[in-house]
Amino acid sequence: MPIQFQFEPIFAESDRIIDGVLLTLGLSFGAIVLGLVLAVLLVAAKSLLGRWVGLLVDAYVELMRNTPFLVQLFMLFFGLPLIGIRLPGTEAALLAMTLNLGAYATEIIRAGVDSIHRSQLEAGLSLAMTKRQVFQHVVLMPALARVWPALSSQFVLMLLASSICSFIAVPELSGTAAIIEQNTFRSFETYIVVTIIYLALALTLKVALNWLGRAVFPRVSSVDRLDARAEAA
Amino acid sequence: MNILKHIKIAGMALALGAGMLAASHASAQTINDIVKRGKVKVGVLIGAPPYGSVDAQGNAIGYDADVTALVGKYLGVPVEVVQLTPPARIPALEAGKVDFLVATLAPTPERAKAVMFTIPYSAFQTGIYAKKNTPIKTWEDLRNRTVGVNRGSSVEREFTNREKELNLKILRFEDDATTMQALFSGQVEAIAGPDAQANAAIKARGETETELKFFFGMQPNSMTVRKDAYELKQWLNNLIYYIKQNGELNAVSEKWVGGPLPQLPTF
Repeated sequence: MPIQFQFEPIFAESDRIIDGVLLTLGLSFGAIVLGLVLAVLLVAAKSLLGRWVGLLVDAYVELMRNTPFLVQLFMLFFGLPLIGIRLPGTEAALLAMTLNLGAYATEIIRAGVDSIHRSQLEAGLSLAMTKRQVFQHVVLMPALARVWPALSSQFVLMLLASSICSFIAVPELSGTAAIIEQNTFRSFETYIVVTIIYLALALTLKVALNWLGRAVFPRVSSVDRLDARAEAA
Repeated sequence: MNILKHIKIAGMALALGAGMLAASHASAQTINDIVKRGKVKVGVLIGAPPYGSVDAQGNAIGYDADVTALVGKYLGVPVEVVQLTPPARIPALEAGKVDFLVATLAPTPERAKAVMFTIPYSAFQTGIYAKKNTPIKTWEDLRNRTVGVNRGSSVEREFTNREKELNLKILRFEDDATTMQALFSGQVEAIAGPDAQANAAIKARGETETELKFFFGMQPNSMTVRKDAYELKQWLNNLIYYIKQNGELNAVSEKWVGGPLPQLPTF
């Protein structure tokens, strides 16, 4: 007997799917912006402030990078209320995603900062730039430009990991899919539709981040490309 | 001629088969037969705690196993417990592998075409649970509240059907445990769920703030005998009545479900 796909019951719930997509996008976009800001601040704190601040940043990064995202999510959703802080599902999800992404992004940006050669710092200082100016113009922006591809793929991973938030009853795309699957008993069709949507979202995000990277770091990236060409020659 | 012969053989085979079937059905149909044989074979459910599961030694434990022990006590013969998974229950009874079932079967008209049910001896109940200081007595009191439910469970529909009318904000969790956890941590104001699971979670956590608000559903379960075993059924009905009256069935309910025996219907 040939398999009969029926997508009508899935499309009948398109309002729900659209709400799910919007929530997935909202959570991901929020986590990317907040996580990136958090990571830049932490890298700056680590570079400019004392050793103890650096150790605290390291502790946070290791904590988030070495525990499962699901556990972090449960800690925020089920654990925080025990000490009197009650975050609704969506807020808990956004906070968990921000903290998780912030830790990975911190580590990625730190790698970029480490790749800036010492001579460049000295060059900056010799031009009478302050320590902060050197960090901002000589260290941070070139570092960000170098690690932007790595950051981009981490952002895409976070978009996909947002599906885990359905475990705390957040009706993002995956949570919505589970509800639709249960209403229609059309599991395969539901997940085909959802897979295509995730694929489209991830590819779009990737292209957008590429474009953004070129727009924000035009000069630095062209210099890097020259460097690469010089090394290759 | 040939065809006639075939029909004859087929007829004989059919008669033989029917005879064997009748013989197997005839086994232990009466209380006397069981007592004379000196043991009773009872099918119990496994894989559905707290009603029926298996301990580390492989013995059946749970509500069904304890009720079976009571049956054996009043029959006065040793019990041979046969462990059955849900789909194996009625086939095992029909095949004569067991004398009767104490296996958490709902007496539905559909099943009653194949087997015969006693009056109910247990019931799944589904209720609304919330913190003690949340004033909830009826569905109406859930208006505008955030409620939790196990996604895909039979009770989810109770909320979904009232979602618009009562302006419920429904959070759907992966399983009963997470749903209870959401209630304990205050992420939802009330949950709907089965009493056994809710009681188990409340007990395991030593929770004193969470309580049952009201029951909204009940699914009674019956013991099951083969279709022609009227005498056996009558005796089991009598037994169920008796252990309901003397409190023994209530003790089983308290032990496994964590609450008193509900007012079970009879028929």
